[in-house]
Amino acid sequence: MEESHAEHGPHVISNKVLNQTFVLLIILMLLTIIAARAPIDGPKYLPGMVDFFKKWEYAWPVTNLIALGIAVIKAVNVIQYFMGVKYASNLSKVYAVGGFVGFTLLFILFWDYAGRAWEPVRGWEKVPSTALPRDFDNDGGVPYKQYPGNEKAHESKSEH
Amino acid sequence: MSQAAVDTHTSHSKTNYLTNGHSIASWLLTKDHKRIAILYMISVTLMFFIGGAAAGLIRLELTAPHGQLFTSEQYNKLFSAHGIVMVFFVIIPGVPAVLGNFVLPLMIGARDLAFPRLNLLSWYLYVAGAILVLTSFVLGGVDAGWTFYTPLSSMYSNSQISLCLIGIFLAGFSSIFTGLNFIATVHKMRAPGMTWFKMPHFVWAQYATSLVIVLGTPVVAITLVLVVLERQLKFGIFSPELGGDPVLFQHMFWFYSHPAVYIMILPAMGVISELVTCFSRRRLFGYEFVAFSTIAIAAIGFLIWGHHMFLTSQSTLQNVVFSLLTMVVAVPSAIKTFNWVLTMYKGSVAFTTPMIYVMGFIGLFLVGGLTGPFLGAIAIDVHLTGTYFVVAHFHYIMVGGAIMGFFGGLHFWWPKMFGKMYSEFWGKLTALIIFVGFNFTFFPQFILGYLGMPRRYHYYYFAPEWQLYNVMSTAGSTVLGIGYLLPVIYLTHSLIKGKPSGPNPWGAKGLEWEKADSPPDTHNFSEKIIVTEPAYNYDAIEDNDAFRKKWGAEPVTYEEDKV
Amino acid sequence: MSSHQQVLDPDAPVVYEQYEDIEQQQETYIVGMWAFLVTEVMMFGALFLVYSLYRWNFKGEFFIFHEELSWQLGGLNTMNLLLSSFWMAKAVQAAQLKNIKKQMKFLTGTVICAIGFLVIKAMEWIPKFEHHLVPNNSFIWPPAHPHGSGGGSPEHARVFYSLYFIMTGLHGLHVIIGIIAISILMFMTKVKAKVITDYIPTEMVGLYWHFVDLVWIFLYPLFYLIPK
Repeated sequence: MEESHAEHGPHVISNKVLNQTFVLLIILMLLTIIAARAPIDGPKYLPGMVDFFKKWEYAWPVTNLIALGIAVIKAVNVIQYFMGVKYASNLSKVYAVGGFVGFTLLFILFWDYAGRAWEPVRGWEKVPSTALPRDFDNDGGVPYKQYPGNEKAHESKSEH
Repeated sequence: MSQAAVDTHTSHSKTNYLTNGHSIASWLLTKDHKRIAILYMISVTLMFFIGGAAAGLIRLELTAPHGQLFTSEQYNKLFSAHGIVMVFFVIIPGVPAVLGNFVLPLMIGARDLAFPRLNLLSWYLYVAGAILVLTSFVLGGVDAGWTFYTPLSSMYSNSQISLCLIGIFLAGFSSIFTGLNFIATVHKMRAPGMTWFKMPHFVWAQYATSLVIVLGTPVVAITLVLVVLERQLKFGIFSPELGGDPVLFQHMFWFYSHPAVYIMILPAMGVISELVTCFSRRRLFGYEFVAFSTIAIAAIGFLIWGHHMFLTSQSTLQNVVFSLLTMVVAVPSAIKTFNWVLTMYKGSVAFTTPMIYVMGFIGLFLVGGLTGPFLGAIAIDVHLTGTYFVVAHFHYIMVGGAIMGFFGGLHFWWPKMFGKMYSEFWGKLTALIIFVGFNFTFFPQFILGYLGMPRRYHYYYFAPEWQLYNVMSTAGSTVLGIGYLLPVIYLTHSLIKGKPSGPNPWGAKGLEWEKADSPPDTHNFSEKIIVTEPAYNYDAIEDNDAFRKKWGAEPVTYEEDKV
Repeated sequence: MSSHQQVLDPDAPVVYEQYEDIEQQQETYIVGMWAFLVTEVMMFGALFLVYSLYRWNFKGEFFIFHEELSWQLGGLNTMNLLLSSFWMAKAVQAAQLKNIKKQMKFLTGTVICAIGFLVIKAMEWIPKFEHHLVPNNSFIWPPAHPHGSGGGSPEHARVFYSLYFIMTGLHGLHVIIGIIAISILMFMTKVKAKVITDYIPTEMVGLYWHFVDLVWIFLYPLFYLIPK
C-alpha cells in the first residue's frame, strides 16, 4: 500500500528544535507563575496593584484566560515538537486535534448550570397553567405559593 | 455463481482456523481474530442467558398486581442485574466483538486486525469484568439500577456497588481496546484498491462505532471510578451532604450512555446493510448517504444526552436545546431506513433466515425509532418518562433492532464461520417466533406506559386494571425466551450434523465471501487481494438464476440502477 | 507470503504478518497510540470538566482553599516533568538514529526526573494527612494552621480537596505507569528483546509520556495558581 521511497525514514526532529522548545516551555512556565502570583505577592513590590485587580470587574475572567492561554500555548508546543505532530502524517494530526474537539463537547454541560440562573421565567406567569404557581418574590425561599394547609416553614437560607 | 478460485495451493490448504491447533492454549493464547471472535461469542451468549433469566424473573413478578415473589429490594437487584448484564456485557460488545472481530479483517482484505494481542487482551478484560460483576451479583447484587444514580449508589446503597462498578470499568476498557483496534485497522489495513467508498458498509458502521467508543467510554469509566471513590473514601463529588451535585453524575453518566446506545445500534445497522443487499441482489441505495448518515448519527449522538434528564432540575434552556437536537438525530436514522427499503424495492428478494431478521429489524426499529421523538418532546416526556413507554421504546430498538441485527448477522455469517449450514426451516421458524414473541412482550408496554405504569416498580396494586397488559407481556416474553433458546439447539446441531456450506452459499459479494474459504484459513487469504469493483456489485452478476433457484426469489425487475 | 523478514540484515525491523511493509506497521502503531491518547484526553477531560464546574460555582472559595497547596513545590514538579519530557524527546530522537547508548542515557534521565516528581508529590501529600485535609472521615476545615485565610464552607473545601487528590492521584498513577513502561523499555532494549526492533516502541512510550506532561501542564495552574 505504501509506495517505497528511496529513503523514507521517520522524520528525526533536530536538536535545535528540541532545545528551543524546551527553553520556550520553561519561559512560559515562569511567565505563568509570575502572572498568577503577582497580584498576591505583588504588593510587596508594587503597591497599588492589588487595588487595581480588586476593582477591575474583568479581573477574574482575564487572569484565568491568561493562565489557560499560556497553558494552551505550552501544550501546543509539546504536541507539535516533542510529540512530533508537526511532522507527522495527516492522520496523526486529525487524531491529535480530534481528541481535544471531543473534549470540548463535554462543556455543553455548562449551559445547564448557566441556564438555571434564568429560572423561573418571568412574564409567563400570566399564562394560566395547571402547574403550581411560582412564588417569585421569595428568591431562595420555597418556590411555590403557600396555600392554607400547605404551610411549610420558610427556609430562607439560600443554598448555592 | 460467484466463486473465486480460492483453492490455489497453500502449504496449509487442509487446515482452517478451527483445526489449526487443538490445545486449550492455542485457543486461550490465540492471536487469530477469528478465534477471539468465537471466544467472545461463547461469553456473550452466556451473559445473554444470564440477563435473560433476570428478565424472565422480572416478567414473572409482574404477572400479578401485588409483589408476590420478591421484595422491593430483591426486585431492584433483578432489574439492575438485567440492565447491567445486557447493556455492558451483551449488546455493547455483541456485534462489534463477535461479528466485527470475525468479519471486519476479511471484509477489507487484511490478514488480521492491527493489534492482535490487544484484541486478546480485550477478551480477557471482558471476562474479568464479567466475573467481577457476576460475583457482585452472587454476593448480594446491586440495587441502584444500571444507571447507578447518586447519591443512592455513592452514599446510601447497602449493596455490592463498588465491586460491580470495577467490573464494568474493566468491560469498558475491553470495549475501548476493541474500538482502538478497529480504528487503526480500518485506517491502515485495507487492501490496495479499497478506498473508503468501496468499503462494505459494515466497515463504515464499525468505524463510526469505534469513534464513539473511543470518545465516550473513558468519561463513564472515570465517572464510575469517582462513584467508587465517593463510596469508599467519602470524597465529595456527587453527594449533596458532602458538597457535591447529583445532577452532575447524571450529566457525566449520560454523556457516555447516550452515545452508548448508538454503539449498540450502529453495528447492527451495518449488518442490515450487508444482509439487505445480498438478499435483494441489489447495490445499497444511496451508499454515500448511508455512509455519511452513519457518521452523522455518531456525531450528533454526542450532543443529546440531556434528553434522559428532562425531569431533573436541568435548566429549561438546556432542555429545549437537547430536545431540538434529539429531533435532529432522527433524520439520519430515517435516511438509512429509507435507503434499506429502497434497496429492496424491485429487487430479487429471497426470504431466507437472515432476510427475515432484516425485515423484522426494519419494522421494529421503525416503531422504536419513531417513539424516540415522542419522548424527545418535553411536553410528552413529562408524562411518559419513568413509565413503561420508555422501557418499550428502548427495548424495541435494543432488542428488536440490535439483537435482531446480531441474530441476522450470526445466521448470515454462520456458514462462513463454521462451514456448515443450519436448517433453514428451524431458522425461519425461530425468526418468526422471536418476532411474534417480541411484539407480544413489548407492545403492551407502550400501552402500559401511556396508562401511567411506572417502571422499576414490582407491584401495581393501585391499578389492577394493568394486569391484562402485564400478563400479555409475560406471555410474550415466554415465547421470546423459547425463540432465543432454539438457535442454541439448531445452531449447535448444525456444527455436528450440518451440511457443508461451501465458500459462498448465499452467492454474496464481498471479499469475505469471494476470496476466503468457509471456514477461513488462519491467515485469511491465500492470494494477494486487489480490489477493483465497488461494494455490493450485485448488478454485475449476469446470471442470478442459480441464486433464485436455490433461495426461491423472483427475478429482479428494476430497470436501471439509477440512484 | 507472510512476514517480510529480511534474513540478510539481522538489524532490520521485524514486520508482523498482518502488515505489508514496515512503514504500514509503523504508521499503524502511531495511529493506534494516538487513538489511545484520545481516550486518555476524554478521561482526564471529564475530571477537568468537573473541576471547571465547581470552580465556576465556588470562585472565591477555591482561591482560599488552594492557599494550602505549595505552588513552589508544584513549580519544581513542573520543571521536573518538562525536563523529563525534553529528555524523552531526545531519547526518541536517539532511537530513530539507532544510537542505543544515547537513548539509554536519556531514558535514564527521564526516569530520574519522574521519580523526583513522585518524591515531591509525596512530600506534598503526606503532610495533608496530618493536617486533616484528606477528604475522608477525618476531614477538618478550616485546618489548625491555615496558610491562607481559612475561610469558605467545609463542604466546598471537601469538594476541592477531593478533586485535588483525585486528579493529582490519577496523574500520579499515570506517572507510575509511565515509569514502569520506560523501565521495561530500557530493560528490553538492553537485552535486545525480540519485540523491539525499531524505534516505534520508544516513540509510543514517548507519546504517552508527553501526554502525562501535558496533563500536568494544565493541572499545575488550575490547582496551584488560582488567581484571586
